[in-house]
Amino acid sequence: MDIIEEERKKLSEKQKENPEINKIKDFMKDERFDDVVNIIALYLGDSTDEDYLERLEDIIETLMLLHGGRTVLRFLIERLIIDIPSLLENLSKRDSVLRYSFLLLLKSMCEDECDLFLPYSEDLLNSEDPNVREAVLQLLVFIAGGEKSIDDDSLIKAIVDSLKHEKDFVVKKAIQALIAIGKDNPSLITKIITNFVKEFPEDKELKESADKILKSIVSVEGIEEIVEEEEGIEEEEAEISEKELELKKKKIEIQKKKLELEEKEKELEEQFIHEKEKALKLKEDIIDQEGEIPPKKEEVELPKKIKKIIKKEESDIFDKELELKKKDLEIKKKKLELELREKEIEQKAIEKKEEALRIKEELIEKENQLSRVELELKEKKIKQKEKELLENELERAEEFFENEDSEQKENDK
Amino acid sequence: MPLNPEHIEKYITSESDSKTKAELLELLNERIKKLCFEECERDRILCTLSPMCSKRWLLKLRLLNGLTIEDQPKFCYSVHKNIIQRDFRNKTVIYKPFDTYLYLIDFLDVFFHGDYRKLNKFLSKGDIKSAKDIFEDRINNRDEEFQYFLTTDKNYLIFKFDERIHIIFLNEKYTLCNANRETIANLEILKGLTDLFSSLYFPEIERYIILDDCVEIVTYIPKDILNKISQEPPKNDNNKKDQYLWDTFANDLDALSQFCKEINLYIDNKENMSIKLHLDTYSGIRYRDLRLVFNILFRLYNDFYIIWI
Repeated sequence: MDIIEEERKKLSEKQKENPEINKIKDFMKDERFDDVVNIIALYLGDSTDEDYLERLEDIIETLMLLHGGRTVLRFLIERLIIDIPSLLENLSKRDSVLRYSFLLLLKSMCEDECDLFLPYSEDLLNSEDPNVREAVLQLLVFIAGGEKSIDDDSLIKAIVDSLKHEKDFVVKKAIQALIAIGKDNPSLITKIITNFVKEFPEDKELKESADKILKSIVSVEGIEEIVEEEEGIEEEEAEISEKELELKKKKIEIQKKKLELEEKEKELEEQFIHEKEKALKLKEDIIDQEGEIPPKKEEVELPKKIKKIIKKEESDIFDKELELKKKDLEIKKKKLELELREKEIEQKAIEKKEEALRIKEELIEKENQLSRVELELKEKKIKQKEKELLENELERAEEFFENEDSEQKENDK
Repeated sequence: MPLNPEHIEKYITSESDSKTKAELLELLNERIKKLCFEECERDRILCTLSPMCSKRWLLKLRLLNGLTIEDQPKFCYSVHKNIIQRDFRNKTVIYKPFDTYLYLIDFLDVFFHGDYRKLNKFLSKGDIKSAKDIFEDRINNRDEEFQYFLTTDKNYLIFKFDERIHIIFLNEKYTLCNANRETIANLEILKGLTDLFSSLYFPEIERYIILDDCVEIVTYIPKDILNKISQEPPKNDNNKKDQYLWDTFANDLDALSQFCKEINLYIDNKENMSIKLHLDTYSGIRYRDLRLVFNILFRLYNDFYIIWI
């Protein structure tokens, strides 16, 4: 035996693992993943507050090194033996090597089964521990690299909030996450970021971060998409203005109808007055006739004809009065209905105007972004042209000097 | 053909214009600064799991040139320290941290966590006795298993944790951890290592420093054993001593000759065979080479010398 062998023997005696870890390794070799999960559950369940982290670290290390470790880890997460939030919080207390190695172990799981992680993401993004935030952001980067795209407004807003975090590494990870998500969904990210930046107009660092993200996610194709969206917005605007015109027309029609109704009312009133006048005339005639003939005789001589006429006239007048009252009521009803409709239409018009204004604002923002990008492109072009011009000038100067030299030589000759 | 590293190397060694050389080196310096402080630390996962310089050698470059912790990329250095710590605790690591350097206080924090402030104070002030008291207390009362040795001129403190060697450079206030492929810097360290290993594995073998030039190590194959050795090559594996001296000894001498300045074999006045090795640092002997030398010495000592004694 030599020195090295002796030292290694001592070392391996020291490194003898606990029986649970050995069992886990044996079962993993036989691909008895369910048994492994059960052993881990018992092993973690038996731990005290002091040695929980040690045990968790041992398990994670073992799983990281073994074939099939990812499968077991997935089972552990699915069966809530290890839950993501507490796992990330515990890992935060450990060194960065373990933390990041473990995050890397979750990469393929994030890409294929993001539903295991997404439900916790928003809460964890609000964690006070910057390491936890960074870890979640990294998981989101992995998720964005997978098949499913992230389009949850509130989650994206939570990521954007991290751009203002005091720790530089959180901000950097948030930028990375937004760029990864933005590649699938540039318009949504652009919208949320620009709105967020508006809230803090004096924050230069935030603006720089936002610029970085927008530059990374807006490609030529992306610009086309945004332009297409803008065209869509223009169409919507045209539709809105058409509807506005229709509304105006309807308003005018309503006013016309109102006027017609008023005219009819007046006509009816006139008719009513006319009828009343007729009735009064008849009454006057009757009174005149009464003055010429003694009353007793009148009662005797003019009973049936005049009475009938009067009764008829009275009943007619009464009927017409009733009709008028009914019509009055109907008119009032219609007036109220019309007023209600008018108000509804006015409300709708206001809402649509508000929408149009909001869309216009967004358009202006996007135009600004576009013009910024265009300006940058133009600047690049101008620089290129300047370069070319300089090169041309240099070439011309060289040619000029060469010509001069040759002329001089000829003159010398 | 584009410019390649050989062209640059050639330019630096052959070019006489110091101004352009300085310009070139400044370019390189700027590139290193950008690489460490911007590109590599931009993503902490990448910096942790696949740093942009292999095994973080740029930290060593700064440390060995007297730059302080303030001049190092902080996150990268913290990961570097973590890796040494994890390796020390037998945890899995991305790479084995051989030949890595730590500032003294960080080394003490990793290997003597509870006492690191006190130890740093004592070692910085040259109060080796108080530091030794702490080491002894840890060995005797706290079940810690390590050996240490202060070199003759008190410039270096050598530690041995199992098979790992760490060397504190007391004046420079840094430590070489897990010494392996690094060359041994001077004779003082070489002698210190020889003394430490000797005390552990071959305590009766003689060792001297000769005229500040080399370390001499003398071992023997006793007369009795020499007389028992067969005159012909052994035909079976029954006698291991015969087998070693006929088959392996020549190979071991050959191996030793690669690392020794001189090897003398002679029969002394007591008719023992003396094997005298001269080791120096001019040939660029590495820590791992020295272990090989010690390994051969350990075998000779264990198989022949100790039995004879």
